[in-house]
Amino acid sequence: MEIRDEVLISVHDLKKYYNKGVIKALDGVTVDINKGDVMVVIGPSGSGKSTFLRSLNLMEHPTGGTIVFDGVDITKKKIRNAEGQWVKLDIDKHRQKMGMVFQHFNLFPHMTIMDNIILAPIRVKGISKADAEKKALELLNRVGLADRANAYPIQLSGGQKQRVAIVRALAMEPQVMLFDEPTSALDPEMVGEVLDVMKELAHEGMTMVVVTHEMGFAREVGNRVLFMADGRLLEEGTPSEIFGSPKNARLQDFLRKVL
Amino acid sequence: MFTAAGFQKTWEYIDLFKQGLVCTVSLSLLTVIFGFILALFLAVLRLSDIRPFRALGIDADGHEIEDGPRAVVSRFNPLSFIATVYVEVFRATPMLVQLFIIYYVVFGNISLPTFKLFGFIRFERFLPGVVALAMNSGAYLSEIIRAGIQSIDGGQTEAARSLGLSQVQNMRYIILPQAIKNILPPIANEFVTIIKESSICYTIGVQEIMYAVSSTKGATYRIAEPLIIATVVYFCLTFPTSKIIAYFERRMSRGDKR
Repeated sequence: MEIRDEVLISVHDLKKYYNKGVIKALDGVTVDINKGDVMVVIGPSGSGKSTFLRSLNLMEHPTGGTIVFDGVDITKKKIRNAEGQWVKLDIDKHRQKMGMVFQHFNLFPHMTIMDNIILAPIRVKGISKADAEKKALELLNRVGLADRANAYPIQLSGGQKQRVAIVRALAMEPQVMLFDEPTSALDPEMVGEVLDVMKELAHEGMTMVVVTHEMGFAREVGNRVLFMADGRLLEEGTPSEIFGSPKNARLQDFLRKVL
Repeated sequence: MFTAAGFQKTWEYIDLFKQGLVCTVSLSLLTVIFGFILALFLAVLRLSDIRPFRALGIDADGHEIEDGPRAVVSRFNPLSFIATVYVEVFRATPMLVQLFIIYYVVFGNISLPTFKLFGFIRFERFLPGVVALAMNSGAYLSEIIRAGIQSIDGGQTEAARSLGLSQVQNMRYIILPQAIKNILPPIANEFVTIIKESSICYTIGVQEIMYAVSSTKGATYRIAEPLIIATVVYFCLTFPTSKIIAYFERRMSRGDKR
């Protein structure tokens, strides 16, 4: 496996507590995500894997710890700029560079597929409508949905919706893509089409963090697999290490149940 | 009870009811317009994120403080607080009390121009009526607007924010266009409610339908017949209105299935 050592996101001692620490959704997770990584996060439900992923772009605000992305600790509300002055941290700026795909797609139902995709490039990046549409069509073509550009989300199948959601995130040209159980809400026959798109993305070198129950995908596409339970990162390794020779007892137990 | 002679006598005063109808409709229309403007304003205040002591909630390191008195103070939004108090007070007190306070206390010392709208509606009574009704329905309408905005699935905001849209852009492009569809039917229903509740304004001498009833009663010593006429007039106003609303509601929900 090629060496990927340029750190893109550095997570240190990440904590997320609810009810003043009674519930510890994340209890000190430390991990570096390198450029080009396809990091697959697995674990039983309630293990904190989704919370971990959602913390990366601050959909959940962590209770403690740091997330350094682009050289900035994005968990802070205020940071010192180059001149040493305190300035408000603009989280929207950082979120633009992190694409996110949700379990329930979260397409905007009142807009056509095309409008779903070009909204953020136009409104956030300030790209012209013509350029944004051209780019959107290219991306839609790649996932085989160019002919549905003028349809509304309600007219698409689950698999098609998720492919559009991936395209919508890609249209912002993110540095990393976060996938939050992207196939869990799909009918079984539609899982493959979404995984194929993700596989292609991985082969193009996109940095990806994927929370999933698809062990086949983890084994085949991932270059690193994290196993989480009780808000902790219990084991980390290559797919062959994790699936071939798991060390942690919880992981062994988990794999027995899911494989 | 009802007698043919009673109806005949009452019928001589039918012009009062016609005037009452005009007055009730204009009272309700103005109320819903001003009430809606007020409600929008209140809803924006309640959903706003203006926190003057925000800086107190950030520690020396730049992180947000989660617990303790500093965190509580930093989250305090005075505009939202005032709007909430307004809404709760107006929803928790009787309409009649509000109307009297506005007519006798607030407008008690203000001398309004004493012209007549449409040649018969006394403006100095009509205006306090509109103000009281609009302030009351504004409180209810703002709850409808707020609920409409909050009824939109949280995933929509997450998707928008994850793409880098700001909170304001999220409201403008994602939440409000979807919320308005949910809000319109209950707002139209509030209009029907206002038509009925406007009858309370007869207590301060606004010449709406109930005022016509009491005038006719005074002149003819008949009560049952004028009340029947008032009932028919109110019903003819509100029933078609709610049917029209239901029709549009059905048409809009059909759009969802597409």
